[in-house]
Amino acid sequence: MGMLQRILWNNRGEFLEGLLVTAEISLIAIAVAMAVGLVICLVRMYCRPLRWLALLYIEFCRSTPIYVQLMWVNYVWPELFGWPQSFFAAGWAALALQSSGYLAETFRSGIEGVARGQREAALSTGLSPFLTMRWVILPQAVLMMTPSLMNQFLVVVKSSCLVSVIAVPDLMYRALRLTSIWFEPIEILSFTAFLYVAIVFALSAAIKWYSDRLRSRYA
Amino acid sequence: MLGDWIQAVTGSLFWEYRRILLFGLATNFYVFLLSAVLAMAMGLLACLARLSPLRAIRWCGTFYAELFRNTPEYVLLVWVHFVPPLILTLLLRTRINFSPLFSAVVALGLAASGYFTETFRAGIQSIPRGHVEAARSTGLSGALTFRWVILPQAVRKMLPEALNQFISLFKSTTLVSLIAVPDLMYQVSMITQEQMRPMPLYSGAAIIYFVIILCLSALVRKFSEGWRAVGRA
Repeated sequence: MGMLQRILWNNRGEFLEGLLVTAEISLIAIAVAMAVGLVICLVRMYCRPLRWLALLYIEFCRSTPIYVQLMWVNYVWPELFGWPQSFFAAGWAALALQSSGYLAETFRSGIEGVARGQREAALSTGLSPFLTMRWVILPQAVLMMTPSLMNQFLVVVKSSCLVSVIAVPDLMYRALRLTSIWFEPIEILSFTAFLYVAIVFALSAAIKWYSDRLRSRYA
Repeated sequence: MLGDWIQAVTGSLFWEYRRILLFGLATNFYVFLLSAVLAMAMGLLACLARLSPLRAIRWCGTFYAELFRNTPEYVLLVWVHFVPPLILTLLLRTRINFSPLFSAVVALGLAASGYFTETFRAGIQSIPRGHVEAARSTGLSGALTFRWVILPQAVRKMLPEALNQFISLFKSTTLVSLIAVPDLMYQVSMITQEQMRPMPLYSGAAIIYFVIILCLSALVRKFSEGWRAVGRA
């Protein structure tokens, strides 16, 4: 018990700050991924001449391992685009890159999943295409894609531990640093693994509960 | 700058180091094969546990699947590489180390086995009860029913899903470079340190993985569509 207290409790600040960085980078990444994914999805669906580009982007994001993307963004993008200049930005950019590909497909299947008749009925009652999108298609599409959107957030949280590799001070990074300071891997790494499992499990249970409630209420 | 791009696309730097890089890629496939076997074996065991009539065993299977599905692979990889050898060292009072390859296979295998458990279970539970009852009432034993009635149908049901899991497993094998298993990414980072030209090397690595995984998933898609078209799934 003394050992646990010395290592874990006395370093609780480190763990907490690491958790905050993990939360921060995951939230930024999913927000950016949603925005980029939406744009890509609209290009893929409604912009014929650029369709192939959107498809290439989606396939690249989905078919490249996240770790490879992280290294690529971190080492190649600064040379290529002059951005990102910080590890933190490279971290969320890579996480967002991966997710935006998946989300573009999620958005597409959500929009395409709304029955054609709905759109035709809305247009024939005199709603403009924009109003049809806003009041008829979007509400149903959002309802349909909310569960996969939230699951993508879970994937982001799970992969976010990789940003420790490029020295973003998230939970994993701090755990590895504490391990090298104290050399007590058993306590520190097991506790960290436990934290990750508990967070991801709690999130996935919450998502399941919320999706079930959405479904039973509206569908 | 432009020269770097040309090098990334034409792969002249890659050609120079082709031996090491090919060996790295082979390591990726080697880790993938070994951990796939482990994942399927553990997944099958846990799936049988989840279908057991005893609640305690069922609970163990669920716990196992949830534990490994919810652990990030990198965290599991680091944990397996550092913690169990130390615990064994303390218990057995002799120094024990896991080789990076061993830790990599165990960690990736366990992480994937959580997903396989669910895939197998869904496949087996999708077989209508009536089939089992019909088989049993014609006099087949429990084992024979499983072997000749449940398994052939379940395998067809879960094959597309399982193939997708294999692809994600292959994608995770890039992580093993972080504990110094000499896979493609590891070799690329070593060469980068020597050449100080990350741009063509990391772009080239990304392109290689992209092409391999794109081909694999195209194959999987074609295969599962054909499978569905003949009405087997």
